[in-house]
Amino acid sequence: MAKTLMSITNVSKNFGDIEALREVNLDIRSGEVVGLVGSNGAGKTTLLRLMSGVYAPSTGSICLEDGTPVAKMRQRLGVVPESTGLYSRLTAWENIRYHSRMHGVSDQDSWKRTSRFAEHLDMLDSLGRHTKGFSRGMKQKTALLRALAHGPSVLLLDEPTAGLDITSARTVRALVKQLRDEGGTVVYSTHQLSEAEQVCDRIIIIHNGGIQADGSPNDLLKQTQTTNLEEAYVSLTQEKARPREEDSKKDGRFTRWWRRISTPKIPKFEIKEVLESE
Amino acid sequence: MNNNSFSRIKAIAKKEVVEFSRDWRTIIAIIIIPLLMFPLLFIMFPLLMESEAAELDSLEVKVIVQSEFLPETLIQEINSSNIDLTFENTSIDSPLSSPGDDIQRLRSSSTDAILRIEQREDIWYYAIIHISTSERSSEARSRLLTGMLNWEDNETSRRISDQGLDVNSTLDPLRWDGDISSADVATQGEQAGMILSLFIPLVLAVWTFSSAIQPSIDMTAGERERGTLEALLSLPCTRKELLFGKWLAVATITGIGVILQVCGLLFAIGYLASSSVIGVPELSVPAIFLIICSIMLFAIMVVALELALAMRSHSVKEAGSILGPAIILIIFPALFTQVINLDGIENFWFAMPVVNVLLALRELLMGRVIIEHIAIWFATSLAYALLAAYYAAKQFSREDIVTSLS
Repeated sequence: MAKTLMSITNVSKNFGDIEALREVNLDIRSGEVVGLVGSNGAGKTTLLRLMSGVYAPSTGSICLEDGTPVAKMRQRLGVVPESTGLYSRLTAWENIRYHSRMHGVSDQDSWKRTSRFAEHLDMLDSLGRHTKGFSRGMKQKTALLRALAHGPSVLLLDEPTAGLDITSARTVRALVKQLRDEGGTVVYSTHQLSEAEQVCDRIIIIHNGGIQADGSPNDLLKQTQTTNLEEAYVSLTQEKARPREEDSKKDGRFTRWWRRISTPKIPKFEIKEVLESE
Repeated sequence: MNNNSFSRIKAIAKKEVVEFSRDWRTIIAIIIIPLLMFPLLFIMFPLLMESEAAELDSLEVKVIVQSEFLPETLIQEINSSNIDLTFENTSIDSPLSSPGDDIQRLRSSSTDAILRIEQREDIWYYAIIHISTSERSSEARSRLLTGMLNWEDNETSRRISDQGLDVNSTLDPLRWDGDISSADVATQGEQAGMILSLFIPLVLAVWTFSSAIQPSIDMTAGERERGTLEALLSLPCTRKELLFGKWLAVATITGIGVILQVCGLLFAIGYLASSSVIGVPELSVPAIFLIICSIMLFAIMVVALELALAMRSHSVKEAGSILGPAIILIIFPALFTQVINLDGIENFWFAMPVVNVLLALRELLMGRVIIEHIAIWFATSLAYALLAAYYAAKQFSREDIVTSLS
């Protein structure tokens, strides 16, 4: 059995009264591509942010294999957030180099790794361009190169193919498969089951802040006694999905009052008239 | 802090400055405008005023004189100042300053001013009907007054002389003996320091605050809105390193702006000094050192506070709505500071935030190095700067800063 790279033990995460994640236990093993699948607001991004050390768990711990808390060993992680997080006034290479320097990697080593992967992604000629004019696909590829430039042990990808065209999404998936073939470890969040099935060795279904299932695609089919993953997903997530609450910071009393008095009410009589006329 | 920490702070600051300077509008805002502001204000503005004044001088203004009789000497005085006079031999009902029907003539610009004058026994009574909002009309009034006051001087001298008195001793019985300026023991440098102390602290304070607004917002709320902060927070740097790096970048950009503005100011002062309008202030080495020190402490406080307030905001718009009006917190104390009398000033003024640094700058520019005051403003400024830095560190440690509106 492959060695465990990251252990998530009894992790819960609360934002005020909102319980975003509850009692999550998970081991990320070396050389596997793990898919986090769930609807919007299920807790995928929160879990990834906890794994990347951006959030601290409310309870429990997230440690690397030597027992070090992940927040203290972030140089071993490569992170691609959903928004890609590229600086538009810098070139692609400057974006990559900036992150590499923060990881303590020399420009030379960073360039070696970047140019190797850039060739696969057909990005070599675009590295000197400002990212402002990049398409969504090029931005995603640049963010991937940036996350790989320092040679991370674990790559965390938050919805890496969201909003990409078919070719770009295919290229990203091909890169993830290549990384797996080279022994890399990837945690891949998506809400597309077909994509998870294509790319991931192991699928974790998150629903309303809890892990509903964890296993290979075949394991999930056996567990749910279904014939395809979509049916399996539906049978595992029958409880109504909650709204996305993680980012909904409570506004102050004055802000709420001001919004209420400055927002016009829906003109009900007009709606009634429209309905009647139809 | 270890070497890695320093190199990360350096990397953050360098990236922020590079990214910020990639926008040509930023270069104009932080280099061109501060550099040219004072030279334009102090050199171009007076030149423009002079040229406008010369243009006004060359104008021929139209004046109607309403009088039954006018002495020839008075007509000569008025005529010597490029005035086109038209006489109307009409009598005016008192008082002379009541415009009556002549309002329309002035409003339609058929004349620039109307001089009404009449003699009642030994006294000449007069009024000049004019429109103060018209430059031509005001100029006509001014020329008429000059001519009439000259005539009045001559008439006064004539009347005194006719009474057999000495004109000079009668009109000027109290006289200053010698050169007025030599009686002032303040040196030219000290006088220049006093004049400059009235606006240099104001300019430094306002510019430091205002030029830090844009970079502070861009590097905090801007990053948050663009969604670049999450990637940054997942890097192996602490929130404090992030704050220091960004603080360094904002302070560098603000510092460049302030230094360039001071250079522009010194150039303008040098130009004015060469025309003997203002002298160059005399500053001792300790005074210069303390001026730099006070500005540094002020900058630490202001930049940390602006970064904190911008980081609290969810968007660039929200941050702008908070930091824009916050400039009042600098302008009001700065204006109050101008009217505070420095002679016998109470010590508590040197403990008040913002006011303390502005007063310190005023004192130092006037060459006054008072240990007691320095100790108070230094200690309190340091405390305020540390408090602001602590508040900023708290804001940067918040978990919700990772969430963006986009």
